[in-house]
Amino acid sequence: MSDFMRRLPVYLLLDISGSMAGEPIEAVKVGISTLLTELRGDPQALETAFLSVITFNSSARQVIPLTEIMLFREPMLQAGGATALGAALSLLADCIKAEVRRSTDTQKGDWKPLVFILTDGAPTDDWKAGIDILNRSSTANIIACAAGANADPTVLKAITPNVVMMNNCSSGDLSRFFAWVSTSVKVSSKSLDSKPGAGIELPPPPQGFVIVP
Amino acid sequence: MNKLATALTVSGRKLPYVITDNPPRGGMKYTYFSPDKKYVIQFYNNPSDADLSIRSRLEAIIGKYNPTKSHKQGGAVGVDEKLAGYFSKRYCWPVDIVVQPEFGIVSPCYPSNFFFNQNSSRFLNLDGKDKKSNWFTSSNRRFLDKSELGDLRMWIQMSVLLARSVRRLHQAGLAHSDLSNNNVLIDPRTGNCIVIDIDSLVVPGIYPPEVAGTRGYIAPEVLATMELPRRDPRRVIPGSKTDLHALAVLIYEYLFFRNPLSGPKIFSSVSAEEDDFLGFGEKALFIEHPTDRSNRPRDLFPTVDDYGEILKNLFHRAFVEGLHNPELRPSALEWERGLTRTRDRLMMCQNPDCVYGWFIPKDFTNPVCPFCKTNGDRRSVIKFDFYTEVKGHPGQWRKYSEMTAAKDTPLFLWHIRPNVYADEKTDSDIMAYTAFTQNKWYLINNKIEGLISPKGSDVPFGTAFQMEDGDIFKTAQTGGIIIEVRL
Repeated sequence: MSDFMRRLPVYLLLDISGSMAGEPIEAVKVGISTLLTELRGDPQALETAFLSVITFNSSARQVIPLTEIMLFREPMLQAGGATALGAALSLLADCIKAEVRRSTDTQKGDWKPLVFILTDGAPTDDWKAGIDILNRSSTANIIACAAGANADPTVLKAITPNVVMMNNCSSGDLSRFFAWVSTSVKVSSKSLDSKPGAGIELPPPPQGFVIVP
Repeated sequence: MNKLATALTVSGRKLPYVITDNPPRGGMKYTYFSPDKKYVIQFYNNPSDADLSIRSRLEAIIGKYNPTKSHKQGGAVGVDEKLAGYFSKRYCWPVDIVVQPEFGIVSPCYPSNFFFNQNSSRFLNLDGKDKKSNWFTSSNRRFLDKSELGDLRMWIQMSVLLARSVRRLHQAGLAHSDLSNNNVLIDPRTGNCIVIDIDSLVVPGIYPPEVAGTRGYIAPEVLATMELPRRDPRRVIPGSKTDLHALAVLIYEYLFFRNPLSGPKIFSSVSAEEDDFLGFGEKALFIEHPTDRSNRPRDLFPTVDDYGEILKNLFHRAFVEGLHNPELRPSALEWERGLTRTRDRLMMCQNPDCVYGWFIPKDFTNPVCPFCKTNGDRRSVIKFDFYTEVKGHPGQWRKYSEMTAAKDTPLFLWHIRPNVYADEKTDSDIMAYTAFTQNKWYLINNKIEGLISPKGSDVPFGTAFQMEDGDIFKTAQTGGIIIEVRL
């Protein structure tokens, strides 16, 4: 890859707290696998998108660093513990700082990262502190998804204006969520912002999902 | 999960289609297939996008502007069955409009050669994926099987076909408005291409579609003025001139596997988005600009110098003179003709591992492949120079074309007539052809009327004439030509 190729960094922030155990976590694994297949089948996404997975339960961990799609290996995921969303946001800020190339006078920077947050419950840590750290250090296009009735969309709204809600955290809904993520990545890797700094245009969320106003 | 549904079209047909869970989805529309996969039905992501202007535009596209349907059948004027058949292979043209369950478009499926199969890649499961240009023109090439990649002759062939497809649109006053690597599928194996997503065409007299274009293909003037209000006269909206930018970018990508504007120059240190906005817009700079080398990648190879004078001039007009001056861009017709003439000059590379396989010899007496530096086999080819008499100056001859011919190379009407060009209407009848046996070159006259040999005798149909270096053939009829042979 030449030194002036830009990348589209994509971060998945996945809730693997205890409530995700069983069917939901299995659906997330299948979802990631489908996402990879989809992105590997799209030439632009394959060329430009780089993917990272950050999981959070009682703490947050970057299980896969930002990796090109071809070399990405699916992470082992196990559900259990609390919902440290705040820690995940602050870790995201660190990862973006370390991994995303910034535009400078001598370097072609990466595109603004695309971040997908999936959570099925209310955060159990100081999420406001996490938002502060994230807002202070980086800009990203963040899309948050509240999975099921226990997730708190107002918390997510404090992170990003782009919040969707799925009815229940079922495997069907989760699979539709990952399909939507893959379409969003594909569309983002093709479209040019009509105006630098303008909000991103995402495909309409899957059927049954509600955009939280 | 799949469910069969029926669409009612404006022409009253009832078409079955299969509703799938996660249909392929683009920026504007999503797609369902018919059970037999012969056609697709596309609905809008946002049904309110399908406003009145889209509807009237589609009616015109399917009707009086349709080159894939004969005029008798309700297609474009001047199109007969044969031409309709030809252009059906060039475009995936919409055939009907869906009115129920909601507004949608019916289009034929692409032919099977535009889909990958299970042998297309050892690294990726591409079976059934469509052949978007980007698979072949980016670093993604490395994932494809060699059998998919084609060679320079095929890349030029598909460039000819794309230029022809765009020329046919422009000739009818239409513009594609969103030509890009996504909207042209290519098959480099066979040198074919097909233009898809025809529904956003700019149709004369109908409010233009709200598309800006695709990153990397959008014309600089569109990007530079897109923040102006839509009604502002300074704002440039996509049309035939912006198509000509996208066409040149696509051809450049087919031949060089890189974008002509993506170089190392930094246009903004604020953000990648702003850098791109300037670097593909207001400040766009050809990576091969002959004097301003600030956007030139290190070790740039090959360059436009390696593709012959004709293409070099066309690329310079497109990306140097015409980049910020749309009026100066070569027309699709000029590309079609320039590419055809370049194709005529190709010589095969002797190196079986040469990625290009063919080259345009710079020096015919000592041909060297510029890509792999292998010496060409000079004895395997001859050269024809075609001259026509300058009007009003009898005895003065102007060279209008030249050709590199190997053995068994056909000469068509467009070679031996200065005013005939290779296009969709040109008869592909073989007028003459070359032969090489026992170290001797022959020209066999198939149907050139009044062909006169260098010795001044007639060369009747079906006879072979042995050629020597410097031989000059003539044709007897008025407006005749002479063919000079270089062995």
